[in-house]
Amino acid sequence: MTTEPVIQTKRRRKRQWAPYVLILPSLIYLAVFFALPMVRAVRLAIWDEHALLALREEPTSSSLAAGALPQGTAVKLLERQSVVATEVTESGGESLTEVWFHVQGTDPDGKMVMGWAAESRVRVRSTDEEGRPVGGTVRSKLGASADPLTSLYAEPSSASAIVGKLSSGTAVTIQEQAILEVWFLVAGQRDDKTVQGWAPSRALQIYGDEVSGRIDTGDTGQFTTAYIERMLNDRFFKPALGTTLLLTVIIIPAQFILAISMALVIQSRLKFNDLFLAIFAIPLAASDLAVGIVWYSIFTQNGFLNSLLQALGLLSIPQVFLSADTRHWIIIAIWLAEVWRATSLVMVIVVSGLQNIPQEVLEAAEIFGASLWQRIWRVILPLLKPSLQVALILRTILAFQVFAVVIALSGGEVVTVLANETYRQYYTLRNMNVASAYAGLILLLSMLSSIIYLRLVRSQEEVSL
Amino acid sequence: MTAADTPSPVVQVVDEMARVRQRARRRMLLGRTFTYFVAIVLVLWILIPIWLIASMAFTTPEVVRSYPKSVMPFIPFSFDTMRFFLQSRGIVPGLINSVIVAVITLVLSTLIAAPAGYALSRYVFRGREGFRLAILAVRAFPVVILSIPLAVTFINLGIFDQTYSLALMHTALTLPTTILVISSVFASVPYELEEAAQVFGCTPIQAFRRVVLPLVLPGIAASAIFTFVTSWNEVFAAAVLTVQNRTLPAQVLVSLQQSSEAYKFAGSFFMLLPSVIFIFAIRKYLFNMWGQVTK
Repeated sequence: MTTEPVIQTKRRRKRQWAPYVLILPSLIYLAVFFALPMVRAVRLAIWDEHALLALREEPTSSSLAAGALPQGTAVKLLERQSVVATEVTESGGESLTEVWFHVQGTDPDGKMVMGWAAESRVRVRSTDEEGRPVGGTVRSKLGASADPLTSLYAEPSSASAIVGKLSSGTAVTIQEQAILEVWFLVAGQRDDKTVQGWAPSRALQIYGDEVSGRIDTGDTGQFTTAYIERMLNDRFFKPALGTTLLLTVIIIPAQFILAISMALVIQSRLKFNDLFLAIFAIPLAASDLAVGIVWYSIFTQNGFLNSLLQALGLLSIPQVFLSADTRHWIIIAIWLAEVWRATSLVMVIVVSGLQNIPQEVLEAAEIFGASLWQRIWRVILPLLKPSLQVALILRTILAFQVFAVVIALSGGEVVTVLANETYRQYYTLRNMNVASAYAGLILLLSMLSSIIYLRLVRSQEEVSL
Repeated sequence: MTAADTPSPVVQVVDEMARVRQRARRRMLLGRTFTYFVAIVLVLWILIPIWLIASMAFTTPEVVRSYPKSVMPFIPFSFDTMRFFLQSRGIVPGLINSVIVAVITLVLSTLIAAPAGYALSRYVFRGREGFRLAILAVRAFPVVILSIPLAVTFINLGIFDQTYSLALMHTALTLPTTILVISSVFASVPYELEEAAQVFGCTPIQAFRRVVLPLVLPGIAASAIFTFVTSWNEVFAAAVLTVQNRTLPAQVLVSLQQSSEAYKFAGSFFMLLPSVIFIFAIRKYLFNMWGQVTK
């Protein structure tokens, strides 16, 4: 190895912190953009962030919890109260809010009074340049039994002290407005026990009768298998998993045969060897979506394959290859496209593996009269084993991710794969959790296959030792 | 029985050797012809699909719609299909976004990877093998799948649907490869050269700048090109992490179902073109890129 003398030169020096400083940025980067997302993916798949709603003893989120109810529980609404919204609500359901105005006006006795009144009691007549209400009149109250006067409160809450009363139609100036959030005292069943406490309206779904509802979203997380179950019961799950595994199984052997053939061609040092190598390597950098479309142009109904077959007189009318009735043809097209695209990677790994085999060994085999097949089976393949194993791991894991080729050739409905289902759950169905469950499954399959391969490699090495 | 009837043992051996040599030569010739045949078949296998799509990309949309299809040079050459594709909605912005994402990825990836690659090739330190294995493990992992949890994070942070946030994801995708490639590029420059420069009076930094840098620059450029191509091609994370600021592959992907064949074929060729050019540009370094995974 060329690196050995270098390493020895450095070893003589005293212990340094330089290498750690040099690798630190990449370690941090991979921790943030690889390790962390992986943990998050697992968390999204098995953790329901809105599983439980904590009910409060008082209608404020800072008060003590009186209990918790799971998402979806039916509740009775016992009492309603508005409180000044202390926190900005970002997520969850629609928040019920009330607007209160701090108004000033003349009461029926001719006294100037100031206090808070609900928006429903004041008709806004004028606003300032920014659209904020600055003046209005007190609305009239309907119903004979109602108090004809509108109460003004010390605080923006009907529970606070009344500081004055205004008759309907009184002109008022609006000095301030407050946005209140409605809280409900709710009661619901959990484990045959009634739990009662205050909950903000944003966490509840209120039915039309305004006395019952259900817990819409919780604020406390809980472990759940619901997302994984939803993935398993999805109608696309089984076909996706089946097709992914089938493709892996049929793509990889074809790739290896083709890649080893290419590597042997390169190894035999023909004329224009560099050109051959460059051509074989072209697909290495090819976009998978583009390659999918290339093969679509061949297999589509008025594509190249039908044109060729008809020109040769093998077909009288064009055959439909890429349709729901001809799933096998779609699989074949995906297979060809993937073999075309990803063989180069295996080829490069195999070629560099071949270059590590001493030339004398190959020449010796030739001189002793081994045929081409014997040389491949008895000499080259056994010596190539480490490279082939690495290529096998890389290719298997990449085969679990096959995506754009499938979309290009099947539209993603007729034939589907795991990566496509991840995308569908995320993009079409907008379900991050089930999408993460799919992503987790792909991660799990990749991890399992690399562990299995590494085990196989190690046990074989021990046997050969 | 005379001596002339039965050849002497020496003559027998000479005859036998000549026969063996002749057989070997014949077999070699046969083998060579066979190898050329295989090579040409394989070259056709790679080139024919590219030729087909190029035929469709460089003709008129009418020819693209026609059936049965024929190929260049039997069909009229025209830039109409290509022009039609480039004038379609979202393509030019997508192209610009693709380039922006790829350039940010290239710069970020190279800047972060170069020190790590240098450390791997020049120092022996505790944890070196662990770091190397971790890099190999990450490289083998389906990194793009992680764009799902990243999308949630990006939405929470308010940086979703931005070219730079997609570039952050692409950097995670390309970083392991870049580190390994750059470390093998540094390893190909003997440390003795650096030492010799220092003996002749360079400071360590001067030695690095005057001696090592010119030698490794082409290799690093090749790795940067490969990073660019990886980002240019990547479609899953791009489709997940962007909505308005789609990159070219993501734009083509989401409009695939509603688009005409002329659009698809021209788009396909347009996406293939840079990769093909780049592979020819960096073909010398291919084994630095992928070969060394086996070591």
